[in-house]
This record gives sequence, C-alpha cells and structure tokens, in this order.
Amino acid sequence: MSKTSVLDRPKRWDIPFFAERSQRDQTPEVAQKAQEELVQRLLVIEPFAKMENRKKLKDILHNDTRLLQFHDGDVIVRKGDYGNSAFITLVGSVKVLLDDLDPTLLGRKKTKTQSRWRSFTKLFTLPRMPESRDTRLYPQLREGSGTTAKPGTTFAIQDIPNVLKALKEPLDPTDPKSPLKITNTVTMETGVLFGELAALGRIPRAASCVAQGDTQLLEIRWQGLRDLRQLDNALRQYVDQLYRERGLKDALQNAAQIHLHQRSDTQLQPIVQTAEFATYGSYDWYGSYQALREENSNPLTQEPVIAAQGHYPNGLIIIRAGFARISCKQGSGEHTLGYLSKGDVYGLAELAHNAKHPNDPTPLTTTLRAIGYVDIVRVPTATAEQLIIPNIPVDQIPVLQNKVSSPPSPSTPTQNPSAEKDRIAPVILESLVENRFINGSATMLIDLDRCTRCDDCVRACSSGHDNNPRFVRHGTTIDHYLVANACMHCADPVCMIGCPTGAIHRTTQGGEVVINDITCIGCGVCASSCPYENIRMVEIRDQLNSDAIVVNPNNGKPIAKATKCDLCTDHHGGPACERACPHDALKRVDMREMDILSQWFNR
Amino acid sequence: MVQPIRTFRFRRYLSSLLTLALAAGLALLLIASNLSLRDTHYATGWALLGMILFLACYNLRKKLTYPPLLRSATWLQLHLYVAWITLLVFAFHIGFRIPNGIIEVTLATLYITTFTSGVLGIILTRAIPPRLAVRGSEVIYERIPMFRRELRLRAENLMIQSVEKTNATILSDFYTAHLADYFARSRNLRFHLMQSHKPLHNLLSKLTTQDRYLGTEERAIAVELRDLIKTKDALDYHLAMQGILKIWLFIHIPLTYMLIAVAVVHAFLIHVFLG
Repeated sequence: MSKTSVLDRPKRWDIPFFAERSQRDQTPEVAQKAQEELVQRLLVIEPFAKMENRKKLKDILHNDTRLLQFHDGDVIVRKGDYGNSAFITLVGSVKVLLDDLDPTLLGRKKTKTQSRWRSFTKLFTLPRMPESRDTRLYPQLREGSGTTAKPGTTFAIQDIPNVLKALKEPLDPTDPKSPLKITNTVTMETGVLFGELAALGRIPRAASCVAQGDTQLLEIRWQGLRDLRQLDNALRQYVDQLYRERGLKDALQNAAQIHLHQRSDTQLQPIVQTAEFATYGSYDWYGSYQALREENSNPLTQEPVIAAQGHYPNGLIIIRAGFARISCKQGSGEHTLGYLSKGDVYGLAELAHNAKHPNDPTPLTTTLRAIGYVDIVRVPTATAEQLIIPNIPVDQIPVLQNKVSSPPSPSTPTQNPSAEKDRIAPVILESLVENRFINGSATMLIDLDRCTRCDDCVRACSSGHDNNPRFVRHGTTIDHYLVANACMHCADPVCMIGCPTGAIHRTTQGGEVVINDITCIGCGVCASSCPYENIRMVEIRDQLNSDAIVVNPNNGKPIAKATKCDLCTDHHGGPACERACPHDALKRVDMREMDILSQWFNR
Repeated sequence: MVQPIRTFRFRRYLSSLLTLALAAGLALLLIASNLSLRDTHYATGWALLGMILFLACYNLRKKLTYPPLLRSATWLQLHLYVAWITLLVFAFHIGFRIPNGIIEVTLATLYITTFTSGVLGIILTRAIPPRLAVRGSEVIYERIPMFRRELRLRAENLMIQSVEKTNATILSDFYTAHLADYFARSRNLRFHLMQSHKPLHNLLSKLTTQDRYLGTEERAIAVELRDLIKTKDALDYHLAMQGILKIWLFIHIPLTYMLIAVAVVHAFLIHVFLG
C-alpha cells in the first residue's frame, strides 16, 4: 500500500479574508481580536445595522471583510487591474482619478516570472510523480506529519490593492511638482461603496482610487458582497443602482464605434439620462449551457431575443458585458452572421439609414440574441439620432447593403469588419458561437491539417508545470480545427463565480485567470462551473513525504486541488504550448480579435 | 500592435528564395575557389559538420522548453532550409563523385539516408495530418488501446443482446467467424498505410450478404454492428498513420547521431593523416 500524508479537508473561511495579507506586526491572535472588534463596530453602522439574519451577517463580516488603513496619497486600486473586492469608506475619503496616470506612478510591476536560469534548471529537477507539492505552503498541514509551515508564508489570494508607499506627496492638482497632475476627479465620502463594478462584473477596475488624508476602508471580497446582496434587499437595490449608473457611462465610452470616448461627463449626461439598461439571459449561464450540450437541443431556443429582425429599430444597442449573436432568417432556420462582445454596437446601420432617409425607413435586418448572459445599454432612437449619429464620421457608419447590415467588429471598428468575418467559413463561425468558444481570450486552436500529433505542446506544458500538463490535446472538433481542452481565459470567466475563497482569480497584469494553489480548497466548484470542462481536479502528493498522496485524516479521502492552464504567466516567452508546436498548428487566440482569427483560419 | 499572420505560401516563397540566393552565392564562391585551385575540402567539410550539428540541435531545443530560444516552428523552418543547403555543400565536399574508402562510403551513405529520411519525414508530416482529420474522430495515440477495448466490449454486448432478443445466432456466428479477431487487435495496418479501404469494404460486404438471413430486429443490430466496424477501421487507421508519424523520427534521429559520430571520426582521421 502506498504511503499517505495527512491534511485537514480545506473549507471555506479556513483562511479568513483578514488573514490573507501578511501581518508582520500582528500575531494571529491579535489579528483575530482586531477583526472581532471590527465586526462589532460594523454591526451598528449603516448599511449593516438594519440587516436581518445577524448570525450570517456576522459570519460574512468576520470572514469576508477586512480593515485597510491608508495614508494621504496611497493608491487603493489602480485602473485596469482586475479586482475581486469592493470597498466601503469607514473613515476619511477617497479620490477617484478619472484621468489616466503614468503606469510607473501606480507602481505596476510585471507578474512574477521565474528567472531564465531557474526555468532552465527546473527542467532537470522535475518531480518524479505527478501533482507533487511542497506541503509546507499549506496552512492546514497537521502536526506530526513531519513538516511545518514555512516562516513568513503569505497567502496572496487575489487583487489586493497594494499600498504604494512611494506615493507620499499630497494630492494637489495645482502643484506642478505633484506627481499626480489630476484634473478629473470625484471624491467619495464616508459610507460610500465603490469597486463593486469590477468585483461583481469580473471586469477591470474602471478608475484608480487614492486615499485623501488618513483613510480607513472596509474591503469586502466579492463572495461576501454577493452573500450580503442576498441577505438584504435594500443593499441589493443600492448595489444594483450603483452598478447600473456607473456602468452606463463606462459602456458608452467603451463603444469605439460611436465615438463617445472623448466626450466629457456633461456631454454624456443627456445620453446617460435617456439610456436604458437591460440584462438578458442568466448570470449563471453555464448551467443552462451544460444542459443544452447534454440535450443537444437547438441553442437558439435558449437565447433570448434582444432585437428581432423585421422590427422597428427602437434604439442603438451597446453591449456592456457578455456576448450576443447576430443572425438572419434563412429558410426555416437562422444563419449566424457574427457575434458581438463588450463595446460592440448593434443597429447603427439601420438607425443611420433611417435618420438619413426618414421617408424610407428600414426595419432591423438581423436578429440579436443573448448568448448566455448579456448586459446591454439601449440608447433611444431619438437620442441616438440627435446626439450620437451626427458625431460619427460618415465613413465609419456601416452601410446598409441590400438592407442587410454588416456586423461590426470589436477589434477593428474603423475597418470593414464584415470583410474579415466573411473569411471565416460559416460552418466554423456557427460552431464557435454555438459552443460559446467566443468567450475565450486565449482559446487553444489546433489546425488538424497541420498537427502531426507529436504532443510536443503537451510535453512543453508539462515541463513548465512540474511535470504536469495543464491541458489535454482533445476537445471539440470544428471542421479541421480542434478547440482543445485548455483554459480559454474567458472574457466572462464563470469559473470564478462560485469560488468560495477567491483562489481562482485574474492576474493584475494580463488578466489571465489563474488558481492560487495555496488557498484552493478543492471544492470543485470552478471545475463544475467551467462550461468547457477545462479545469481538472487532481489529487496532490507530498513532496516532502516521498510523494505520498495527501489525505484528509478524518475520512482518509485524498485532498484535491483545481488545476488548469495558466498561460505560462510565471515563465518567459508566453505560452509554452504555442512555442513548442513545430508545425505552426497551435495558436492561442483571442476570439474578439476577428482579424487575427480569420487570418489564422486562412493561412 | 499584433503582427499580421503570414500565409504559409508567402513563408514558403520567401524562405525558398532566400535559400536559393544563399545556395547560389555559396556555389559561386566554391566554384571560384575551385577554379583558383584552392582546396575547399576542409572548408566544406567543417561547414558541413557545423551545419549538421546545428540541425541536430533542433532535437535538443525540443527537449529544452526553457529558456525560450525561438519558437519550435522557426527552428523547424531553419532546420528544413539549412538541410537543403547541406546537400549543396555535401556535393561540393565529395566533388560530385561517388566517394571511395570504407569511412567515406559509410559517411556518404549515412548522410544520404539521413537526408532522405528527413525529406520523407516532411512529406509524411504534411500529407498524413489532413487525412487523419477527415477519418474518424480525433484520438490520442496512447488512448487507442483503451478505445479498442471499449469497441470490442460494445460489439460483444451487441452480439449477446442479439442472441437474447432474437434467439438466432446468424449474427453472433458471423461475429465469431469474422469479427472477433478484428475487434480484438489492430488490423489491416498495411492497407491503411496504402490508404486502401479494401479490407473494410470486404468486411462490410460480407456483413451485407448476411442480410437476407436476418430478421427485422437482427437487421437493426447489424446496422449498429456496421457502425462499430467502421469506427474500429478508423481507429486502426489512426493507429497506423499516427504510428508512422512517430516512427519516422526513430529512424531520422538515430541516423543523425550515427552520421555525427562517423563524421567526427572522419574529421579526426583526415587531420591525423594530414601529413
């Protein structure tokens, strides 16, 4: 019988949020006591004072929140970072910087990559057994198993806003010597919730925030915020209201085709006031998708219609989040013309035509459907005709050809998008949309006409991950292309929805979805949430105990961890799989970059 | 800014053009040197050995995934076009004549076989994948025995069902006579290598001839059996063709190492007996 090593079954809240950061000046007991005092303090202030189910509230506040202290000028969050937490100002105020700052001022640094020498030498010291781990990194390791926690081990789970110590100068926009020449700011006073848009929408932070004076913030990780919303109706409405209001302006400015990115708040205000905000499909769309795949039924039946072909275009539709399918009737079915993602616009050709030819209006020439979950902004026709269309250069307005509009391209709005999309064979486009592979930002496509099945890609992946390949050269075949079972680093990473500890998160630099092995409790939620079956649960071995399988002493069951492709974020040179392919058969593709995709399909 | 993806045709034309230009320049240089009565054998010999060592390095690069030393695809392109140049240098080195002497003949034979195996390899790697892509489902080579076992079990269960449901043994007898061995191991690899469908066609014809003896229920089972036969055929095809793609490297690489070993001996002897 093989040897075993023991480890308590990890659970949610094994590592409370407050314990995740390195507390060099605090013992665990002191930190625990401080957190308990914080919870007592929070229970009597708004918005927590009025909440019912005090027991659960107390648990959430204890485990999913922590107190952060900032001094004047400290950066709280940086624009563009992916964050899984929101904040409430308890003391002081926060300045939101709407202008772009010099990245160096924000203290950005590259994702920690292994040195070239370390990468090289590692090839010769690969573990003998699969999924072998240094168990000293795990806090739950039982005493007596021969190993102890490494001193000073920290548990960096997610995008915790690092306090930028270098930035000490007071914020004075008029001071020419100030490192921050800020002209466009908004101040958030005590009690204001912010950062919820990034936390709940799984999108990058929309702005950088800096502490104004000595500031105390309550940081709530998104799992806690999600639970709090369920706990209290008023908070849910409040969060939703904020979420919608702040998202709206961002959505308008992100839509490159309508040229609003340089408009000021004042100029945008009339559009924001009249725009409607709507959500189609389900936030947890992956459940219905998995059922759909199992049933093999018509996917269109599961896709709510946002705008129907033949109907009057009652507004300009901007996709805020998620994906939508553009199709038109063909026989008794529908033919997919393309898909839209964040920042894309629908209905512009029809609206522009109708504005120009009021006596010869045209109805919508295509149908728009929600694929899974879609947030849209609808700008009413009158507002669009008055405030948006006149400001779009004439050559940028899609032409209504034979009353069939060209689907716009997300990546190259200034070019003729249909030209690129047309180059993708309809059968491939249909399948990519149907299987929702369009969600991928690094989808692994393998050209089976060139792939010699040598598995160099798998070997390269394996050698970069301690002898553990993080993908399977297997998956869905579309024409002669294989969409391999490798994490696609989705634009809408539903795997992150259910993670109780935040172990699965986006990196701050590239936004890749990665798993923190230390805080993963092996619950398997991410693996079962992933619609593409690209996350694998593995049983770990103890590197320090002759690679024995690590088991839970209470029930003897092996301890599992979630694993997946991390896009080689900790290595030089990008994804090893792509670099290792001798025949240029494998590519990691951002499905929103249609021009690259179509070029690759037509090499 | 993302670099536009070049077509394979463009890359082929560009690389061929560069290689031809380089080869032409090299040929002119060597011809000029020969005309001026300079001895080019040492220069071409060392250049050839250097290029062969460079070509052999590709295998090393494949094993060393880190640090990132150019993409493997770039290495392969260099490998292919440098290999073509070695042919020219080799021709000049042997003076466009058949060499004599045991070492020289061995060396020349090894070079030619290594080069030929390389050319064969590139033809195979370009010709086989598109055929695999259209035949059966995509399957990982190492998993083929597992799928074969699954197929055999499904076929056997089908036959048991057939006997139980219809109380007739026509199909099961046919299975015992013609299909038991077919499902038990990989078959007809030789025919698959020649892209021949003859064995499959024969087997299906034999099954079709049984139709007249089958009842309605048995016919339905025969249709399922037919599908399993086709699936097994595709599996065998993948085994044969993926096997070839793997095996050719086991010829090309050892030949390369032998070539390097004999070339080193040849260089050593030449310099020892330089006089």
